[in-house]
Formats: sequence, C-alpha cells, structure tokens
Amino acid sequence: MAQDLVIYAVVHQPRRLKLPAQPIPKGAGSRDIERCLFDDQLNEEYFHKVATYCYYPATEMFLELAGGGLKFSIGFSVSVLRQADAWDKKLFDLFRQLAAHPNVELVNVEPYHSFLPLLDLPMFAKRMAWSRDNLEKVLGKRPEVTDTTEMLMSDAIYHALDGLGFSGAFLDGRPWVLEWREPTHLYHKGKDMMLLARHYQLSDDVGYRFSNKGWWGYPLLADAYAHWLRDTWGDFVVLAWDYETFGEHHSRDTGIFDFMRQLPDELSKRRIVTSTPSEAIAKYRERSFHLPLPQFPCTWAGQGGMEFFLGNDAQQAVFQLMLQAYNKALLTKNRRLIDIALWLIQSDNLHLIQWFGRWGSDAEVSAYFTPKEWWKLGPSGIVWEMQQVYKNFIQALDAYL
Amino acid sequence: MRQRNITPENTEFVILCFEGPDRYSLAGGLAVRVDNLSRTLAEMGFRTHLLFVGDPELKTEEVGHRGKLVLYRWCQWISKYYPKGVYEGENEKLYDFSESLPWFVKDRIVKPAVARGKLVVILGEEWHTAEAMCRLSDILYSDGLRDKVVMFWNANNTFSFHRINWGRLSYATTITTVSRYMKHVMWRMGLNPLVIPNGIPRSLLRKVDDKLAAGVREALGADLVLCKVARWDPDKRWNGAVEATARLKERGLKTVLLARGGIEPHGQEVIQNARSLGLIVSVARTKPGSSVGYLAALKEAVPADIIDVRFHLPTDVLRVVYRAADGVLANSGHEPFGLVGLEAMAAGGIAFTGCTGEDYAIPFVNSFVLETGDPMEIVGYIMYLRDYPEEGVRIRKAARLTARYFTWEAAVQNLRSKLENQARIQGTLGGRLASAESQFALSEFPPELLATTLKRHY
Repeated sequence: MAQDLVIYAVVHQPRRLKLPAQPIPKGAGSRDIERCLFDDQLNEEYFHKVATYCYYPATEMFLELAGGGLKFSIGFSVSVLRQADAWDKKLFDLFRQLAAHPNVELVNVEPYHSFLPLLDLPMFAKRMAWSRDNLEKVLGKRPEVTDTTEMLMSDAIYHALDGLGFSGAFLDGRPWVLEWREPTHLYHKGKDMMLLARHYQLSDDVGYRFSNKGWWGYPLLADAYAHWLRDTWGDFVVLAWDYETFGEHHSRDTGIFDFMRQLPDELSKRRIVTSTPSEAIAKYRERSFHLPLPQFPCTWAGQGGMEFFLGNDAQQAVFQLMLQAYNKALLTKNRRLIDIALWLIQSDNLHLIQWFGRWGSDAEVSAYFTPKEWWKLGPSGIVWEMQQVYKNFIQALDAYL
Repeated sequence: MRQRNITPENTEFVILCFEGPDRYSLAGGLAVRVDNLSRTLAEMGFRTHLLFVGDPELKTEEVGHRGKLVLYRWCQWISKYYPKGVYEGENEKLYDFSESLPWFVKDRIVKPAVARGKLVVILGEEWHTAEAMCRLSDILYSDGLRDKVVMFWNANNTFSFHRINWGRLSYATTITTVSRYMKHVMWRMGLNPLVIPNGIPRSLLRKVDDKLAAGVREALGADLVLCKVARWDPDKRWNGAVEATARLKERGLKTVLLARGGIEPHGQEVIQNARSLGLIVSVARTKPGSSVGYLAALKEAVPADIIDVRFHLPTDVLRVVYRAADGVLANSGHEPFGLVGLEAMAAGGIAFTGCTGEDYAIPFVNSFVLETGDPMEIVGYIMYLRDYPEEGVRIRKAARLTARYFTWEAAVQNLRSKLENQARIQGTLGGRLASAESQFALSEFPPELLATTLKRHY
C-alpha cells in the first residue's frame, strides 16, 4: 500500500501564433518579426480568462492547502511567468507566494515548453540550466527536480538532464515504458538522477475524467479517491496534472475545488502522507530500481507516445517546418532570432492540431485548446496558416544570412 | 430631437485609403482624390480624419486646417523597410492595415465622436480598404455603435476586384463609384453602387494666362499642338494618339504631341511604334525649377513630332499646356472617371475624351468624345477645329463652365446628400421610417433597399 503521495502541477500558457499568418516585411528587425508571428493581444485575452477561472482560485486554494500542511510541487514555464509579469502583477505575486511556501517544492521545466529535447539536446541542456537559474532569480527557489515539456523523457533526454545535476526528473508511467514495473517506486537509469513515474491512471482520473459524466467513477469524491490511492500497491504515488485542471479544464461548478479541499482530510484518515519530490527521492533513493528508458520519447500526453504530437500529416508538416526554422535561425547566429525560433517550437503548436483527421472524443481534447478565433479559417485553413507562419519566418531569416 | 442634415456641427468624417498626401503615399489619382476630398471637407468645417499609408519618417499623427484635418500615418513600422513608396511591401501593409486600423478607428475616433453626440461617416477608398471596412462594421456592431455610423466604400477603378468579398462588403457598407460607366461595369457583377463623381479643386478654375499659352506654342513652333498626360497603359490608347499624330503629319501639318507618361514598360512600345510610323521622338528633361526652365526644356526638344516629357509637370504648368494645345487627348478606352479631361476643360483646353466614365463630357458642346478607337476620329475632329476655329473658342468657354459643376465642393454636396439619405434609412437622421414589416414582407424589398433596411436594424 502506498504511504506517500507526491503531487505535481505545471503552470503553462502558450505564446499563440498569429493567424492568419502576417507577412513579414523584408529585412524586418527581430522585434518586428516577433510582432508578425505571435498574437499577443489574443494571448492576453486568454491569459486574463484563465486567470479568472483558474489561476486565482487555484492558487488561493493551494496556498490554503499548503498552509494546512499539504505538500506538493509546482512548475512554471517561462511563457506563463512572462505573461503574468506583463499582464497581471497581482497574480504574478501570488505565484511567487505559492512557490515560496515551505511546503511547496519548485520544479524546473523546459522554459518555453518547447520541443527542444527532440531537436537539439546540447541546446536543451543549456536551456534547462538557464531555466533553473532563472526560476531561482524570479521565484526565489532553486529547483532540484525537473520536468521537461509534456513530461518528455527518453534515454537521451535522461542523460542530458543528469549532466546538469538534478536529483530527479518526472516521467509518465505508461506500461510500454515501465513494462512489468509499477509506477509506485523510485527509479534510475544507472546515474545519480532519480526518476519519478507519474501514475497516469490515477492522475487522469482527476485531470482528464473528473467531470466526465459518462465515466464509471463519476462523480469522483475525495474519500473514494483517497481510498484508491491507499489501495495502490507500492511505495508512493506520483500524481501530476496541468495546473489548469483546476477551474479551466474542469470548471468550478464541477466541484473540483471542493474535491481538492476535502482531499487532505481524506488522505490523513488513511495515513497517506504528502511529500515533495525531493523528500520522496531522499526517502526511497536506497530502494530505487533500475529502469531502462526507451529510445523513443514518452510523454504524459495522449497515449504516452509521440504519436500524439506527430500522428497526423498536419503535425508532421509543421514539425518539419519547426526543424527548418530552428536550424536556419542557428545559422544566423543571431540570439534574438534563435530565441524566436525557440518560441516557434512550442509543443502547443502541434498539440492544438492533434484533431486534424480525427473525429469525436479523440479530436475534442485538442480542439478545446485551439483558439476559438481560429475556427473561422476552417480546419484546413488553420493548418495552412500555421504552416505559413513558419514559412514566413524562415523566409525572413534570409536578410540575416 | 433628431438632426435633419449632415453638418459640421453634428458629423465627423473618417477616410481610409492606402494612398494619401505624402510624397511617399502618392502613386496616382487616388492620392489626389483623397487629398482634395479631405481638405475640402476640412475647409467646409467638418472634422476629418484621414488614415493612410504614410511616410515612415513623418509624424504618426498630424493636425492641420485649424484642427479640422487629422492625418494618421499607418503602417509606418512596415514602410520603414520599404522606402520606395506606398505600394512597396503591399501585402505586408495590407495585413497590418486590415488588422489594426479598425480597432483604432472604433476606439479612438468613433467612440469619442459618438459620445459627443456626433454622427460618423466612414469612407473607404479602393480595394485595399475593403477588408478593413468589413471588420470595422463588425466591431462597431458588436459595440452597439454601427447605427451611429454611415459607411460608404468607393470603387475608383476595377483594380483587384477579384480580391474583394463583395457579399460581405455590400452588406457592411454602401458601395459607391465615380461614374455611371463604373456603375454599369459593377452592375454586371451583381452590385448596385451609388454614383458620386470625382471633383477638381476650385483653384483649377482660375483663368490661364493666354500669353503663357502662346509662349508654349511659340516654343514648340508647330501648326498643331497635341497633349497627352497618362500612364503608359494600353487602356490609355497611346498608340491611337501616336497614329493620329502621324496622320496629321501626313497631311502636311507640323504637329507636335507632348507626351507625359509614367514609368510603365508600355511606354517603350509606344515610342517604338511612333518611330516605326516615321515620327521623330525626342526626350525633354530638366531638373525641377521654374516655368521658364520647363519651357526651355520643351524648346530644346524641338524639332520633334513627339516630345517624351521626362520631368514632372507642376499643375500650373500643365494647365498652361492644356490651354495651349489644340487638343488634350484623354482618349482612354476604359476610364472610370477621367480627371485629366476635366482638368483640361477647367483650364480652357479642348478635351478629347473617351466615352466611358467621362460623364462631364458632352460632344461638340464642351469637348470631343471619341467613340471609337480609330485614330482618324481624332484627325477628323482636329480638322473640324481648323476649319471652324470659332467652334474651338465656343467649346473652350463651355468647357470652363462645365468644370464649375465638378469642383470638390460640388462632389461633396452630392456625397452629403447621399450620406444623409443613408443616415435617414438607418434612423440616425430625421424621423424613423415606418416599420417595414407592417407594410411589406422583407422579401418584397428590392435588393438594394433590403440591405439598407437590414442595416437600419443595427
């Protein structure tokens, strides 16, 4: 029976592209290129909306829970921190307050939520090191444990992170990754860095299924959930969610805030202790197990494999353009342009066209993330215009070569 | 109490156009049109806002005409990468214009004006502004402002008609054009525009000094002086003018055609054609300076049958040339309005117009209207004038009289009356219309009234 519970939530907002694609003036400076590529007006609108329904109530809730003794961990992408700093300083301060709480561990994440771990591991390693320093500077805590983008992990990614001195990293505990193993133990791949495997079923019960009336477990009550946690065989359970689960993916009226507020008591009744990831690593390091990692990256998205991001023609095409954009930017040796290219390889840009060629519930999840303002272009129009954004950027780099 | 008319006290104008009064923004007649229109409105006392793709080096916002005319230079951040002029980087500018301008107009101009109790008239010029006008109409509607605004979109030409969403544009705005000819062209597309002609500045009605005109003739030393000012474009029928010159020369008349074209490649074809007809072509060049200098440049170019004028002719000098000429060949095969012909008439010149958009031209009364593309038609009328010189005097006098009806002040009056009509239909001016539903089913309305009746319900 698992005695410890590690809770992790990651806060992220994408830097949405501007669709339809805006042509970039020939010879445009980097600031003007950015202005043509990204829709900051739309980003700000969405940010305020999510802040109202999720970030404020969830952060207040977690502060309350932390004050009551609940331990958990949180990661912030640079993308969301910059948006908060630009558009809602009060919220930004609230985030800092949360990160600063003694019961909260700050987790490192890939700063732009990008696919850099798939494209350029040496650069990824540099960026993760930078992210760690940046989070310490901005939020006042130095992360010891790390996540990536969409919890991407593979053999190669592990080695890139291990070299940076992190004590642990998250990965999604899918059967094809763990094989016969349970996600409720601590793992490693022969190096110092430990691996915390997300219990995808228990995590998705809340993160994905909580408000699904067609699910057999609906409505999910705190006592039942705590019972499931207690009944899970192993050392500890790792639950990991998008922070936006609370109020955005599942609105307040689904009862998700009430559920979370009741959960600590129910955990306590069942003698389940919440721990930070570092505490779990410290406690179980001596009992950690070797885990051979797959060469194919795994992720917490979809069914756990890259088919979620690269499974249709549209995603494949955009991914190719991402590669071209990133590599051509590197050729310019221009830091600002490389930075723009890093923004362009955000995972969100493939996530939100996962619906292409799909129907029904399969498509609904990612269609939800597609900005509603884009739908007037039609599905093919969205894909076309997204591709055009990358093509415009690639063309704009000519002036720098 | 609801206002009954559009007056400077109760109305503000907003004009959207790519071209504008800056040298950077000047590409052709459109710039001249909006410059004159905006100034005339301002001089009549209307607060007028002109938003255009302006010079990136000049101020973004500039107020003139004692606070009545406000210029907003748009897309400057793009234009700084495209120094050659308004249409360089056209697609980039078009995107930014369509995307950013509607919000600015709504929040910074319309909302404050409506808050002050004003009616706002928004005029969009040409295809570049079509999308911006549609979006502006939509966002005004979302904010509950659309019924306080009258929106007219004007077609000066048929350029890029294929890029316009006509269904959307005709729903969002009232479509206008500059002549009955253009109206008929657009009818064939299922559109039903109102006609509001162009105008000329009142300053062009000043009498031209005949001594100066005589000086031009003397400098050219010809029996016949013809003049043509137009883009080098097949539609402008340059080859017809050149062939007419050749025919007149064959008849033993020493004829000079002063040809002021543009930078278009068709010019080379025309000059080549002229040489193949045995005409002597010379080029007149000079730096900008005084009228004396321009005259000297023309004199230096003779003897020649065709003088290719490769310098900008200021308006004052052009008027003298129009007056001096035996014929100003504004003989286009497709001319939405024909400003050159009207300007020639205002100067007391004899205009040879085509027979498309030149609504001001009445054959043998105030001009000659060429109804075919046959150069002999030009030759015939020239010979007629030589046989009956008193007719030339009469026609010149009638031409100047006609031009008075086509000043910008007159055009604005026309515009105003049509705006007032639309505003009444919208319920913004005058009394409300009786409810359409009580008298007719909506489906019984003619299409043009149905669109405006629907707009009234905003």
